[in-house]
Amino acid sequence: MRRFFLKLLRRRRLDRDLQTELAFHREMAAVGANPIPLGNAAVIREQAFDLWRFNFIEDLWRDLVYAARGLRRSPALVLTALVSLGLGIGVNTALFSLGVGFLLSQPSVRDPGSVVAVRVAGNSNLPEKVIRFIQSSGLFEDVAGEDPEAFANYNDGSQTSRVFAVFATKNYFTALGVPMLYGRGFAAGDPDEVTVVSNGFWRKRLSGDPAAIGRTINLDGRLCTVVGILPEGHRTLVGFGFSPDVYLPAYLEGASLAMYARLKPGVSLAEARAGLLTVAKRMDESMPERSKYARGVSVSHIGGSARLREQTEMLAVGLFFALLLAVAGLVLSIACVNVASLLLARASARRRELAIRLALGAGRGRLMQQFLAESLLLSLLGAGFGLALAQITATLLAAVELPLPLPLRFRAAPDWRVAIYAALLTAFAVFACGLLPAWQSLRESIATDLHREGRMRLRRTLVAAQIAVSVVVLATGFLFLRNLMEGAALSPGFDLRRTVRADVYLPPSGFSDPQKKTAYISRALDELAAVPGIERVAAARLIPFTDNTSYGSPITFADNHQMVQAFFKWNAVTPEFFQAMGIPIRQGRTFSDADAGGKTVIVNTTFVRRYLGGRQPIGTVFLWGAQGKTPYRIVGVAEGTKTMTIGEEQQPQLYEPLAQIVDDRLRIQFVMRSAIPPALQLNAVRGVLHGIEPMAGAQVETMFSSIGLAFVPSQVGAALLGSMGLLGLALAMTGLYGVMAYSVARRTREIGVRIALGATRGDISRMVLRESAGLTVGGCAAGLAIALFVTRPLAMFLAPGLKPADPLSFAAVALVMLLTGLSAAVGPVRRAITVDPNAALRED
Amino acid sequence: MAKSTEPALLQGTLDLLILHALGRGRLHGYAIAQTIHLLSDDVLKVEEGSLYPALYRLELDGAISATWGLSENKRKAKYYEITRRGRKLVAEQEATWSRLSGAVQRVLAS
Repeated sequence: MRRFFLKLLRRRRLDRDLQTELAFHREMAAVGANPIPLGNAAVIREQAFDLWRFNFIEDLWRDLVYAARGLRRSPALVLTALVSLGLGIGVNTALFSLGVGFLLSQPSVRDPGSVVAVRVAGNSNLPEKVIRFIQSSGLFEDVAGEDPEAFANYNDGSQTSRVFAVFATKNYFTALGVPMLYGRGFAAGDPDEVTVVSNGFWRKRLSGDPAAIGRTINLDGRLCTVVGILPEGHRTLVGFGFSPDVYLPAYLEGASLAMYARLKPGVSLAEARAGLLTVAKRMDESMPERSKYARGVSVSHIGGSARLREQTEMLAVGLFFALLLAVAGLVLSIACVNVASLLLARASARRRELAIRLALGAGRGRLMQQFLAESLLLSLLGAGFGLALAQITATLLAAVELPLPLPLRFRAAPDWRVAIYAALLTAFAVFACGLLPAWQSLRESIATDLHREGRMRLRRTLVAAQIAVSVVVLATGFLFLRNLMEGAALSPGFDLRRTVRADVYLPPSGFSDPQKKTAYISRALDELAAVPGIERVAAARLIPFTDNTSYGSPITFADNHQMVQAFFKWNAVTPEFFQAMGIPIRQGRTFSDADAGGKTVIVNTTFVRRYLGGRQPIGTVFLWGAQGKTPYRIVGVAEGTKTMTIGEEQQPQLYEPLAQIVDDRLRIQFVMRSAIPPALQLNAVRGVLHGIEPMAGAQVETMFSSIGLAFVPSQVGAALLGSMGLLGLALAMTGLYGVMAYSVARRTREIGVRIALGATRGDISRMVLRESAGLTVGGCAAGLAIALFVTRPLAMFLAPGLKPADPLSFAAVALVMLLTGLSAAVGPVRRAITVDPNAALRED
Repeated sequence: MAKSTEPALLQGTLDLLILHALGRGRLHGYAIAQTIHLLSDDVLKVEEGSLYPALYRLELDGAISATWGLSENKRKAKYYEITRRGRKLVAEQEATWSRLSGAVQRVLAS
């Protein structure tokens, strides 16, 4: 510290002082005719200075200025570096900030560390009475619940549209402490007709007017007062950019809610868990009908890294981001090699300058630093460009509404973690670009031209490595592309081309009585069937891919009382469902209206194979559930369908007649089979549904466009990885082109001699092509070998039947690589065959 | 080789010699070199090339302090003075040195 201030205070005077002092010394020595030898004044000055200066920083500054001067003379190098490093760093940073946002961000609540997600009975969604019971136990400071996956019908006076809603307990906002932009959250004393709207909803539907507070809006046919508006960057408890439109008090009876609680100060997670277990046991005693609350009790954090550790579902998401980052990192290293290769070529021009400086006694460390200053400057430029690029992309991405089944908004807000990551990437780029050229040119500048061959060999090795890395990146991209194609080729098990789907959400006010809903459905079925061109129409609880319900429960066969634990996908449908969807019935029949009395089911072939144990399926009777008393009879066996993702394995399925179940849901789906192209039916279907119940929000689309969502995960993956593969390919090709062009330029004289001695154009182009092909083939072979290894962990993301070592993908990658390698050589070959022997021989 | 008869200063001993010379009072750079030369019976010659960097280093370390003054021949000269810290340092280094030289003596005598 003392040194620091001394240096700071005295350094200005230092030079003058030293001069005076040395002059005095010499004078004295001369007067005394003293034989003490004099030293080198310049060296003394240097040494004394080194002690007293902020060497590193001052040297660095000088080097940077020097480097900037040098780089200004080579705009092509600067441009290449800017684009290569910019894209590399930009892609990495953008992915990283997206991943950080997904995996590590905290929801917008007061003191997120003390808010926990609570589960009892192994269930995340619980009836409100359970929440009230836990609330009254006093274990937590406060307990709130939400149903984040609800819908509401918003009527703006002329049109009804379905919006994404969250039903929450009235203490939700106060318990969690959610910050508001305007107004307040609803509170315990409020009536049911209040709502808090999201920033997006407020901007889009309420024209972003702060006076919207206190206004009433029509949701599900009720006039709700807007009491609060959420701020722009609000992050929900669900996370992942999930942003629903409106929040409503959970006023419906029997709704199940996900439970969140705030820990009392000083209570640890383990203590809360132990306390909850006691409360759950008490609950089992006082509410015996389910009698298993004490099983599957858990308390976990809601956000940040703690959530990542505690919830295993997050692991796959984390792994996917790790994979993306790894691939993006490879792309960056390809970019770095490009710049390194260019710097290497440049260093060759400075060989003489370096040799002189070394001979004059410049330190190697200093020269090394100078080289690194150059790559530091380039990396900083690249990073600046890349960050700007990432920011623009993020802004564009946040502005568009993504066609996803959930209201997701990607917001990449750069924070300190992203800044650190970008800085690390830049530092990596500095060394990756600068170290090799610096080391290589220092090593050879003392020797003579002998080393030139070595430099060329180094550049060739670099390019081969670059090609190898881009093969790895491309192979990954291709695998995901193949995954996509494979998925498209797989049939979902029902007709996509001739079907229309309508997803209706009925207003709760008019349809709390199940009778009314049944009446609505039968009227809708009749009127839809009357639409010209509609051949079949059916209603169903679920349409595959848009929603699914799984059951895991024991079934007991009536014949020998054998009990089997069965897991299956469940659905409830009207009789024409199978014809409308184009699902073949293999055995037996479909439901009939007469089935309403006895309990009948239809199962799929997988269900028969897995659980029936060789019984003749038609007529088999089983009891459903551990204490089930009602017999269910199998009347038909249908072909299986995919339920949620196109790549999934065939699941056992069980259908019940819609009329047979107690349907408490307000959502109902219709499916229609059309004789004419389904897109032409959409308006007619909308009109019919609107005519029956204007207050119901209906989403009508062709099956094909709605199922498109099933392809989203692998589409996004393939698009991201594929574009990174292309980016890597382009970068590697630039590198290959650069090396070939340089090699031809270097051998101009030799080529001239060859032409003068009678080599034909064919000979010359063969010579250049041979070199380029050697590099490409070598790089490709190495890359494929590595890819074979590193893509192995990708199996978990791929469709069944697609192996990471997919021969077709690998062959395609190799082909693409060879073709681009060849085209990169075209320019240099042209240059080589047009070499004029006279001019070449006269050159230097 | 004629050169080997000129005893070179052992690494680290220059600091000790400078501090010792300054222990006798305020001196300028040239006088320090002279003092060392004379006290060593003309054996040790301190080049300015090593003297001044050493002085600057010691000053930075706080072992000596410097002030500008007038020399005996009325010229502006920089005078060095030993600090408390320097005295402590010289005591330590002298002890170390005598241990070292004694040890070398014993080895050579055996």
